[in-house]
Amino acid sequence: MNLSHFWILIISLFFGQLLLLLTLAWRKQQSNKREATIDHQYSALADSFSSYMMDPSDERFIQELKASPYQLIVLERLLNHYVSVTKAGADSPAVSRLSEEFLSERYMKLLKRGNWAMRMNTLYFIEDFRMESLVPQLKEKLAKSSKLDQETQQLIRTLASLNETVAIEALAKYLDAPARLYIDVFKRLDELTKLDELDAALKDENTNQTLKHSAVSYIGMAGMTLFLPRVEEELQHPEMEMRIQALKAILHLQYMNSPSALAPFFESTAWPERMFAAQIAGKLQLSRYKETLGELLGDPVWWVRHSSAEALTQFSEGDIVLTHLAESHPDRYARDMANQWKTSLLGSEQ
Amino acid sequence: MQEIALILSYIVIAYMLFSSLSYLGLFALAYGKVKKENKLDKRESTEDFLRNQSTYPVSILVPAYNEEVGVVSTVRSLLALEYPEKEIIVIDDGSKDSTSLRMIEEFKMKKIPFAVRTHIETAEIEAIYQSSIFPYIRLIKKANGGKADALNAGVNLSSFPYFCAIDGDSILENDGLLKCMKPIIESDGQIIVTGGSVRIANGSTISRSKVELIGLPKSPIVLMQIVEYFRAFLIGRLALSHLNILLIVSGAFGVFNKERVIQAGGYNKNTVGEDMELVVRLHRLLREEKSKQRIEYIPDPVCWTEAPESLEVLRSQRIRWQRGLLETLWNHRKMMLNPRYGSIGLFSMPYFLFVELLGAVFEFIGYFIIFGGFFFSLVDPQVAGVMFLVTVFYGSLISALAVLLEELTLHKYPKVSHLMRLYFWALTEAFWYRPLMVLWRVKGIFATFQKKAHWGDMKRKGIST
Repeated sequence: MNLSHFWILIISLFFGQLLLLLTLAWRKQQSNKREATIDHQYSALADSFSSYMMDPSDERFIQELKASPYQLIVLERLLNHYVSVTKAGADSPAVSRLSEEFLSERYMKLLKRGNWAMRMNTLYFIEDFRMESLVPQLKEKLAKSSKLDQETQQLIRTLASLNETVAIEALAKYLDAPARLYIDVFKRLDELTKLDELDAALKDENTNQTLKHSAVSYIGMAGMTLFLPRVEEELQHPEMEMRIQALKAILHLQYMNSPSALAPFFESTAWPERMFAAQIAGKLQLSRYKETLGELLGDPVWWVRHSSAEALTQFSEGDIVLTHLAESHPDRYARDMANQWKTSLLGSEQ
Repeated sequence: MQEIALILSYIVIAYMLFSSLSYLGLFALAYGKVKKENKLDKRESTEDFLRNQSTYPVSILVPAYNEEVGVVSTVRSLLALEYPEKEIIVIDDGSKDSTSLRMIEEFKMKKIPFAVRTHIETAEIEAIYQSSIFPYIRLIKKANGGKADALNAGVNLSSFPYFCAIDGDSILENDGLLKCMKPIIESDGQIIVTGGSVRIANGSTISRSKVELIGLPKSPIVLMQIVEYFRAFLIGRLALSHLNILLIVSGAFGVFNKERVIQAGGYNKNTVGEDMELVVRLHRLLREEKSKQRIEYIPDPVCWTEAPESLEVLRSQRIRWQRGLLETLWNHRKMMLNPRYGSIGLFSMPYFLFVELLGAVFEFIGYFIIFGGFFFSLVDPQVAGVMFLVTVFYGSLISALAVLLEELTLHKYPKVSHLMRLYFWALTEAFWYRPLMVLWRVKGIFATFQKKAHWGDMKRKGIST
């Protein structure tokens, strides 16, 4: 290769880049112009959209929307904004009606042919707008998927939001399906279906332990005290993970029918069990365990000491007990921990 | 003499062509990934985590040394972060200015006793404060021990399973933490570290600790740094992360699995490149354990930082970076070309040695040959000409391509004029900015043998407007 070859290489690369630059600049200008028009139309339609959402007989919005050259994008943004700022937005019949009428055809095409990002966005919007007419397409897509990748995970969530229990069946196909996905599904199902599915999951003694752990965990998160006796039964479960999930759920539910069931956990060989038992004793203010909490303040595990001290602060005379322990506890670390908690009720942003 | 110069010329030309091609290869890898996620509605893809109780809580660590100008606005930007559960820990590493005082006054902080778990040994903790307005903001006042030591103190005090380390002068995007935690949550803990793109805030309009309007600065030095960041983050890091061989997560913003960091021994106090060194050590740990866990980088800009505007500060920053790189490579030389460490040992470590570290040396020789060839007949002017063109290709055209890649994928700068300015400044890189960088990077190699670790001496103007 001599100098002229390098010159040719550099010059052609430079002109190639220049061409790309000009194309990108033109594209940017066009897209800025398009965005400005969409923004303008969005603002122009916002008023009539609000009126329509309050009174669907007001046809002004539909007429204005039909006249807009970017009607689908503008409508998608209006609906998306509406469901994200209003509490009942997602369950609004007007949202479903508008999205079904204007967006379902486009979404059907995107689900089949769009690129990955567009398909993902479509799944999010179908969920947000509760577009039931697309359930057959979604089920068909789910049947074809063989990997629990991001797209299949969102597909399962979207189907759950449309109250399709096929979502749980589909998850059960994947042995490595994480608990968080089951919880996402429970969260999205409607109340009656959810009760049935949780009930079935708790009965499941055979194979799917992840499903059962998730059900117990969800019951705690959602504060479903109806299931408390069933959760308490799980405290006797031979598997530790299940017992821990049950303890966590009780902590969230903030109630126990039989507080004596907690006693063995203070002596457990597993520190998470001791920690949750301490937290529950504090949260439920079970004064019978106050002395035990004082002993646990000298536990070898920092988290158990921390939780015991925090639990003691929940009692009305907790600061007195902690002051006493800060001076007299035989363990140095226990004294430090008591000292920390007696001064301040620390917390994190919840 | 001329013969030696000629041989050197061929080596340098071959090296630069090889490096340029490796950049183009990384381009190709990065492009696919960025393009795939480009149209994804980021809000939709993260909003579920915002309401989700299974989203892991995060401790945000802000090490600060003489950061009285920026520390309050950084903490304010952290308060505005959209994240379900977090705590903010500022670590004042023996500042000589009013860093602690500014924090104590602004957030009405009170001294508290605190039972700190000493996972990692640090310099003496003088006091711990807690905000009476926001109880989840804490301040550690400690004896000076360097940035790594400050971060280790933060790790000791933190209560959550993941921590996010950010610089005292950084402004985070509202959803930056969510975006970085998303891959960790979705992988069910298989990803142990994430880093996001860091962008330069100079020239943008920042109010109430938030980037309101993205703009470009007037200073060519800062403009060139923006181009450099595109090149580093958008091409290098993304492609390396794609191959799970990313060795750097920026100190300005990164999320880490605390247990893993403690297992690895925390941040290394004896290097100025503590961020890179930790990531390499984590890779080492994972490979030695034959673990499938990963370190990932996300292309979205999640963090804004103030770039140096003066040559003096830039020089000291670049010397420090180069020194950190050399120290890390030296500390972990056992991994170099060692098949036991897989692609990290066989590809990533040699890449960082030959392209990122020794690149400066090769380029320095290249500039020497160009001058020698044109003005002192050291080599055939034809060879010097080839060298000049290769330098322009390596220095300017690759950077210009990085600008185009940014526009093709993320297009965060809103105006056509932004694109034009960045592109044309990128083209000038080989003629003024790159020689300076090369010189300082070579100096950085020598500096490794001279000084001990210290904080950078960035002079802050503050980026809030």
